[in-house]
Amino acid sequence: MTANSTSVVMMRRMSKRFKNVVALDRVDFEVRPQEIVGLVGENGAGKSTLMKILIGLYQPDDGEYLLNGRPIKFRTPQEAMRQGVGMVFQEGCMVQNLSVQDNVFLGHEDGFRRWRVLDRGAMRRECKAILDRVNLRLDPDTLVRELPPAERQMVEIARLLWLLKRYGAPNPVMILDEPTTVLQEKEVATLFAALREIKKEASIVLISHRLEEVIENSNRIVIFKDGKYVDQMPAAGADIHRIEELMVGRGMRGNHYSEDKQRIPAPNERLRLENVSKKGFFEPMSFSLREGEIISLVGLIGSGKEELTKCLLGVARFDGGRVFVEGKERTIRSPSDAIRHGIGHVPIDRRQEGLALDFNVADNINMLVLRRLKAHGLISPRRERENALHWVEDGRIKTPSVKTKCGNLSGGNQQKVVISKWLSSGVNILVLDHPTRGIDVGAKEEIFKRIRALADHGMSLIIMCDTLEEDIGLGNRMIIMKDGKVTREVECPGDAKPTPQDVIEAIV
Amino acid sequence: MDNVQADALPKRPQSYLTGLKEGGRAGWLLAQGLMFLGAVWGQLLSLAIVCLIFGIGSGGRFLSPDNIHAIVGLAGVPALLCLGVHQIVVMGGMDLSLEGVVAICGVVCGLLLKNNVNSMDVGFWILPIVVALGGAVGLLSGIIHTKLKMPSFIATLGVQWVFFGFAILISGGRSIPIQDARFQRLVTGSHILGIPNLALVGVFFWLVFEIFQSRTKTGIAMYAIGGDETLARQAGINVNRVKVIVFAICGVMYGIAALFLVTRLNSAAARVGNLLLFPAMTAAAVGGVSLTGGLGRARNAVLGTVIISALNNGMVMMRVNPYLQEAVNGIVLITAVALTIDRKKLGFIK
Repeated sequence: MTANSTSVVMMRRMSKRFKNVVALDRVDFEVRPQEIVGLVGENGAGKSTLMKILIGLYQPDDGEYLLNGRPIKFRTPQEAMRQGVGMVFQEGCMVQNLSVQDNVFLGHEDGFRRWRVLDRGAMRRECKAILDRVNLRLDPDTLVRELPPAERQMVEIARLLWLLKRYGAPNPVMILDEPTTVLQEKEVATLFAALREIKKEASIVLISHRLEEVIENSNRIVIFKDGKYVDQMPAAGADIHRIEELMVGRGMRGNHYSEDKQRIPAPNERLRLENVSKKGFFEPMSFSLREGEIISLVGLIGSGKEELTKCLLGVARFDGGRVFVEGKERTIRSPSDAIRHGIGHVPIDRRQEGLALDFNVADNINMLVLRRLKAHGLISPRRERENALHWVEDGRIKTPSVKTKCGNLSGGNQQKVVISKWLSSGVNILVLDHPTRGIDVGAKEEIFKRIRALADHGMSLIIMCDTLEEDIGLGNRMIIMKDGKVTREVECPGDAKPTPQDVIEAIV
Repeated sequence: MDNVQADALPKRPQSYLTGLKEGGRAGWLLAQGLMFLGAVWGQLLSLAIVCLIFGIGSGGRFLSPDNIHAIVGLAGVPALLCLGVHQIVVMGGMDLSLEGVVAICGVVCGLLLKNNVNSMDVGFWILPIVVALGGAVGLLSGIIHTKLKMPSFIATLGVQWVFFGFAILISGGRSIPIQDARFQRLVTGSHILGIPNLALVGVFFWLVFEIFQSRTKTGIAMYAIGGDETLARQAGINVNRVKVIVFAICGVMYGIAALFLVTRLNSAAARVGNLLLFPAMTAAAVGGVSLTGGLGRARNAVLGTVIISALNNGMVMMRVNPYLQEAVNGIVLITAVALTIDRKKLGFIK
């Protein structure tokens, strides 16, 4: 990269190490005016570290940082904000109990002071104008906690844009970290439409695991791997497989979901739902799940698929219909009923629901089976350790020891711990809710393999995935729901997978 | 595992006011009024129920102008205390120093106003003195809480005993009769439209706090801290500074309340503060201030105080056994907290 007088941000030879780990190794990075830069790389590639240096949350060990051609050093994110560099974090930074307008102006209300108190009318008007910029029609007095995630995110983006402009930066730089993970397809489209508008007056750095999205919506793609800059290319006409290769450094073949390992499930029914229904969510429906079968449950939000799994897991209850597990009729009134009948659940949000992050690997794996690990009436530490070691090995969990806190593992390994927890408990039906969310490409493939191996060993799975490709690729069969009804059932044999185009009209 | 569909969209609130709000000044005012009522309808309902029960039970005596006058007058001091303490609760903290601050301020009032123990008579100068003293003690609590990084309930528990001790020390453990008749008339009188002056003071501070909470940076920051302290810090709010300021403001309220309390009682002693924390906390909870922080405004504090005052007045009027009255207050506190607490935020009960 040559020094370009027109670049907004120019970083050269940025290096950062944490203890023994080199997070960034002489990385170059540039942001030009009015462009969207897609920054891609596996987890741990150094994207977040670089962004945190960009906004002054971290200080680089070495390297040069030019903003609008002038060398700069930010000590805090507030300083960076005043110079027009800011970030929307993945986890969001809106205070739930405050209204939209209080959140938008939080910490920056000074401009609205009149007669020593804040002019609420002016704040409202300004807030409305800000929301208009991202095409959001919202009452500024709405509490943020009442907003759906998509709107929350738009508010955050609008807020950041306003803040960056507020201090007069000529070309602000907005960093968006995985902005689409919480969004539905339609909302993603709205987001990018808004970003294209914003692009006219700002530059955007887009970090995303969804490569299709990055290719489609950015101008330029920068690829990082293992803390190093690898390559960059114009987004127009970029080849997804090429990018994947550069990201992971090894060829990714067509057999992404180990389709060749897909088995024909055993004939015996493990779970049968007969005319189950829940008023207001889904109409009476029936299907059965065989031993070793993977069913992809497909549908948009509001299709009723979440409520269906909730009822199955005992979090909610069916209004009518009958549930048979291994041929016996069962009623599921609570999650512990579900577990007793052998139904386990890998939740979408493993950090909140699936794992106790402060517990170590062994404690998490053993959580459901402590009773079995007793010796002489007390829980035996030796058995605990043995059981944990067995499942760590079985699941190829990469952890320094079984005593490592789960919070210190990578997302992929955390997910493997959750799965192992259920396997060790002996359930034979597993509901996987977006098992690969927030996990990088390489680790995803391992999760796919793991899912295949589970089915191989006779586990019956119901999965709901992030992308339709994943649903098709992994499932033996797809059950497609729309507006509370099953619209189609599609067989997905390993050698004759349908294409997303084949099934999309049943979904939307 | 009670939230399987983390990506499910919560239902959009029906914005039934949006239409009105676009309709100019009058519409806007109407909307604000509706919103105000909407935020406290549960409290208004409880108040109505209390009035109904006691109104019928006392054969209308409870709702007589004289009795309402008495209730409103009695609610004055607790309202000032609750206006103070509820803000600490809003920040997600707890202030147990209330009784100690009232004790020290009360005793100081006794010793500085015209009394029969010494020859002091500072007259109206007492007001800035209690404001400064209460504020200073609040400031101290805030500083201990933030600088020593101590949970607020521990910091304030310590402060409570320190100042309760001082109050006994400087008062010699005695009651100090106050002989300032002017003050006494002012505090117990009803000079405007027959409304008790104490009630007017309460209303005045209520409005002051409403403005503070919605129209100042510190006020908004207070709610942000109660909602999520880390996020508030990330937004560039100086969290410690806000906390110290809010603690100081609350101290000021305790000081002013102490002044009115001792002049009404016509005597000051360290124990005047005793048993004032519980009704103030109950009032906050009944008024709808969430003990998990972030929710509840000055109006909630005031309404809560009125409800508690009406309840206690009614029970006295109905000759309810005094011990049973205490039990009722306890039940009310538990019920109110059970109804207002945000369990989602709590995660699990510690």
